[in-house]
Amino acid sequence: MRLLSLALRDFRGVRDRIVRFPALGTTVVVGDNEVGKSSLVEAFGLVFDLPDDSKSTRIRDIQPVGQDVGPEVTVELTLGNRELSYTKRWLKNRSTELAVVEADGRRRSWTGREAHNEAERLFRQHVDPVLWQTLMVSQGQSLVLPTPADAEPLITAVTAESGTPVDGASMPLVTAVEHEYLRYWTRGGRATGDFARSEKAVATAELTAAQALKAMEEVQQDIRRAERLTLDLQDVTGRLTDHLTSVEELRERKKATDEILLRRDSVRHRAETARARLENHTRTRVERERLLDEAERFAKIDAELAERRSDAETVARTAVESVHAAEAALAEVVELKDARRTDVQEAERQVSELMDRAELDRLLGQQAELVDVRARIAAAGTVLDRIKVDDALVVALESARAEVVEARAALAAGVPEVSVRRLGAEPVELSGTGLDGGAREVPSELGFDESAEVLVSGELVVGVPGQVEVTVRAGGEAATLRSRVDEAVRREKDLLKKAGVKDVAAARELLRKADTATAELHEARRTERTLTTGGDPGERIAVLTARLGVGADDDVEAEEGGGKQPAVEGVPGQMSLFEEFASPHDTLDFEDFEVPVSAPDDLAGAQRALEEARDALAEVERLLGDAEFAAAQARKAADEDRSEAQQARARSELAGERLAAAVEALEAARDLLDDDAVSAAEAEATGEVEAVLEELAAVQEQADAAGADQIAGELTDALAVAARLQGERDTLRDALRTTEGRLEQSGRDGLATRRDLAELELAGVRAEHDSLQRRAEAARRVHETLSRHRAEAQTKYSEPLQSRIESLGRSVYGPSFRVWLDDDLAVAERELDGARLPVEALSTGAQEQLAIITRLAISHLVSTGESSVPVIFDDALGWSDKARLRDMGALLGRAGDHGQIIILTCMPDRYEYVPKATFIKLDA
Amino acid sequence: MDDSITFLHSSDWQLGMMRRFLGPDGQARWGQARLDAVARIGEVAAATGAAFVVVTGDVFEHNQVERQTILRACEALKRIPVPVVLLPGNHDALEPGSLWTSAQWQAHQPEQVTVLTGTEPLEIAPGVEIVGAPWRSRRPLSDPAAPGYADLTPAEPGTTRILLAHGQLTSLSGGMSDVPTIDQAALEAAVADGRLQYVGLGDRHSTTRVTDRIWFSGTQEVTSPEEDAPGNVLKVTVGAGEIEVEPVRVGAWHMVDHRVELFDEESLTALEDWFAELPEKERTYVRLAGDGSLALPLLSRLDAMIDAQGEVFASVERWAKFWTVRPAPDAADLDALQLSGPARAAMEELRQALAGGDEGAGAALSLMHRLARDAG
Repeated sequence: MRLLSLALRDFRGVRDRIVRFPALGTTVVVGDNEVGKSSLVEAFGLVFDLPDDSKSTRIRDIQPVGQDVGPEVTVELTLGNRELSYTKRWLKNRSTELAVVEADGRRRSWTGREAHNEAERLFRQHVDPVLWQTLMVSQGQSLVLPTPADAEPLITAVTAESGTPVDGASMPLVTAVEHEYLRYWTRGGRATGDFARSEKAVATAELTAAQALKAMEEVQQDIRRAERLTLDLQDVTGRLTDHLTSVEELRERKKATDEILLRRDSVRHRAETARARLENHTRTRVERERLLDEAERFAKIDAELAERRSDAETVARTAVESVHAAEAALAEVVELKDARRTDVQEAERQVSELMDRAELDRLLGQQAELVDVRARIAAAGTVLDRIKVDDALVVALESARAEVVEARAALAAGVPEVSVRRLGAEPVELSGTGLDGGAREVPSELGFDESAEVLVSGELVVGVPGQVEVTVRAGGEAATLRSRVDEAVRREKDLLKKAGVKDVAAARELLRKADTATAELHEARRTERTLTTGGDPGERIAVLTARLGVGADDDVEAEEGGGKQPAVEGVPGQMSLFEEFASPHDTLDFEDFEVPVSAPDDLAGAQRALEEARDALAEVERLLGDAEFAAAQARKAADEDRSEAQQARARSELAGERLAAAVEALEAARDLLDDDAVSAAEAEATGEVEAVLEELAAVQEQADAAGADQIAGELTDALAVAARLQGERDTLRDALRTTEGRLEQSGRDGLATRRDLAELELAGVRAEHDSLQRRAEAARRVHETLSRHRAEAQTKYSEPLQSRIESLGRSVYGPSFRVWLDDDLAVAERELDGARLPVEALSTGAQEQLAIITRLAISHLVSTGESSVPVIFDDALGWSDKARLRDMGALLGRAGDHGQIIILTCMPDRYEYVPKATFIKLDA
Repeated sequence: MDDSITFLHSSDWQLGMMRRFLGPDGQARWGQARLDAVARIGEVAAATGAAFVVVTGDVFEHNQVERQTILRACEALKRIPVPVVLLPGNHDALEPGSLWTSAQWQAHQPEQVTVLTGTEPLEIAPGVEIVGAPWRSRRPLSDPAAPGYADLTPAEPGTTRILLAHGQLTSLSGGMSDVPTIDQAALEAAVADGRLQYVGLGDRHSTTRVTDRIWFSGTQEVTSPEEDAPGNVLKVTVGAGEIEVEPVRVGAWHMVDHRVELFDEESLTALEDWFAELPEKERTYVRLAGDGSLALPLLSRLDAMIDAQGEVFASVERWAKFWTVRPAPDAADLDALQLSGPARAAMEELRQALAGGDEGAGAALSLMHRLARDAG
């Protein structure tokens, strides 16, 4: 399509205007606001959309305000190879006129509704609505990115470019498939509409059918139950009838046998009476026999017990004697023990005295030694007192000595040493002060050839009388050295005086002597301590002396003289009493008991005597234990024997009493009935019992023959069975009635019909559902298959459009410009200088530019075909900066090379860079 | 024939029966038709001078049919102007909860109607004795006819004795029966020795002559396409030593099986012609068995045809068990649609899937074909 001209009359604010467009190239229609630029686009739409008699508000809106005039539009355009002139006036003087000039020059025209229809048909035939909508950008829409996926000419174009076969008929099919799919499925793939309802209907019908079937099954079960109950009831009723007959028979038989039983009862009663009498007689006889037996038995027992009693008394007497003997023996042993204890005490006294005496001797020796030691201590003390030298004094002496020597040495070194020698005959006199001749005294005069060496610390005057006098004076230092020597000598002398010795060596000798004396003193003292450890021996001596008497020896003599103990006499004579207790090796040798008369000083002998006395005592104590035990045993035995004798006497007396009682009872019984009469009465009763029993046996035989005893039980059992059968019958009858009642109700409810209807219904909805399901599956299959192929194809289509957009875009943005399309072939992302962004994230200006570029690309792609349409921008590029305006202008200009581009604007300077543009100015 | 007696023999009315394939409307009309056929038996009785009517079992479909069925049956029975004797069969056995003992039946039972509940002979007319073997349970343990005649002695001279029984004959059931069958030899013997002069049987829906004197009357109105000769009542005339049995049609419906082989347009046309020639279409049920394969346009046409005939006939049904007609799309069909691009590719894919045995693809292909045709 190419738009050639648009003429408006009485259209909104436009009184009368015609605008002509070049068929090719870019046209910029410039006009201020409100002059009717947008009306041009609107008019073009209305002229094809609405017939002249339309009452649409869209028509009312275009009528100039306040004027009762008919808006009129005339459009000239090419469609295919035809040229059309189409005029329409609404509201007032309505008219429609269409003139068509075919390619071959034929001219046709229509008017009125026919004109409208033909125009509409031609428009639809040549203009793809999607493409038209895509490329006609009304005011304010310039930012909207085109989504041209379903624009057929575009598909055709890109298909041609991409080499994919032309898909001319696919769009209506796609719609139809989509429509068919949506009849059964939601876009999410869930069942919907009739199909979903049918699924629910099936479920409902299934439930209903199942319930109806179950109800009917219950009916069948009831029928079977009732059939079974009927059979069971017949069976039970039959058995009950038979049974009641046999019950009657039993009753008859019972009546007949009752008489026999009555008779048997009478005989049985008599038999019991006879048997009781017999028992009575028998009891009497047995009692008599018992009495006799008892009398005899008690007599025998009495005799036995009397004998046993006398024996026991004899034994008891003997036992008493044994006790006396044992006690006598015990007394003797006690006596013997006292004697032996006295012996022991005497022996102990002797041993003690002897030990005291020995102790006294030892103490006397010790005392003498102590006196000696103490004399040594006193001597050593005296020596030590005399010696005043001690270790410290000796050290001080030695130190003083050393100081003297040292001072002298210093003097010798520090003062002039003057050697004077007399060579001649003239005396040489020496005098002065502070002179030291060393070891020798400085002579006052020298002999011939004598010489003296003097250390001068003061003044030496050497004079040869009459001839010469030489004075040697020591310096100041010499005096000091001299005084040191003097001081040292003085101190040494003091110390020696204090020590009382001549010199150091003497002091040392004294010190050695003092050490020896000290050692001796120590040794003596230790000895003294040893001797006095057990206390002062003097005290012990006094005690012992006192204990031993005036003269120790006398006392001992006296004691020993009277210490002889009398021997134990007569003991062996008593031994006969112990013979049974003593074993042979315990036999005592009484000779050992004689105490030897030992020498007074023989301590060892005395101790031996003591040991022996103690052994003898222990032996006697053992004998005493044995004797005590024997006596206790004898007493115990005697007690037992006495008790036994008492019991025997008591029993014997009791037996005597019982015997007397038995004899008395027997006599009393015999007084009533003698022994022979008792036997006779029993025999008579026995005969009577035998006779009655014979009679009873006969009657029983009769009863057995008639089965009289069983019949009552049989009857009871039979009645119980009858009752049970009746109960069973009643139960069955009730159950049957209940079941039949239920069945009657089922019949009234028409359950079988209900079941059949439910199944019918189920089959119906199932068939419908199956059919729907098949169709739904088919629809899904077709939809899925076609969608898949379309998606694949679209992937192919997008490439040409993408490359066209990119090639246009690069002229504006440079070589790094790239875009990506989505499934609807809309631009989804843009990349520039390596930065890839979704379209929504781009700036407004960039979005608008991209939208324009995309439209130009689409236009470019379809421009070659007959389906091409003009690209119309009702104002655009409002967001682009100067630099971009230049590039976009160039682009719009180039786009005009291939198609018809129409731009409506009030800002012509935005488009001043569009080369070769035709500018049309609209005036108000 | 002098001293002869004429009566009508019918059976297997099965009132209350449902047929899934008829649909709600067809079901209603067919149900009424079965009652109408009963009424027509009354007309036949009047026309032929029949003394009475016997119905040998299965008067009702179930013992638990709905009340409406019972009451309408009673109304139909009232329109029979002669005595009617009904025999309980396997469907309406004299079991516990039986319809025959129900208050509903007994309250509305027409006066001239007798239900045979025992085996005692019933003198229906002077010199005519009816004995019957009613079913007492749905599952009898022995020959269901035997109780009716086992204890009989030969009929008095001049007495016509009719046995009413229900069940399959061993010879006809093909050994498939799961309940005991009727001993045909014993029955023939009873006829031969003069104990019975006519045996009326029920249970088989096709009118069937077993011997001259032993007949299945068949159902009064067809119930299934498998039945041979349904829709008749038997007019029986028994005379001294003679018998005449004549089927009289009372049914109005048809149930037909039809087998077709479909492979081209001609075979489709033949089917259309066959449909066109059938009479009484509104009372006819057709069950189609089909085999073959059809091009997509022909398949669409077949679907449309069956769909349309379904409206005309009481019901037309593809017999699922024997329906194997498949789409056979060829390239020419697809080319005719002038499809291209993805649509063409999608269709081609479906066509190949179908060729590979994918049944679902066939349905999809047919649908797509239709959509493309309509959209184009």
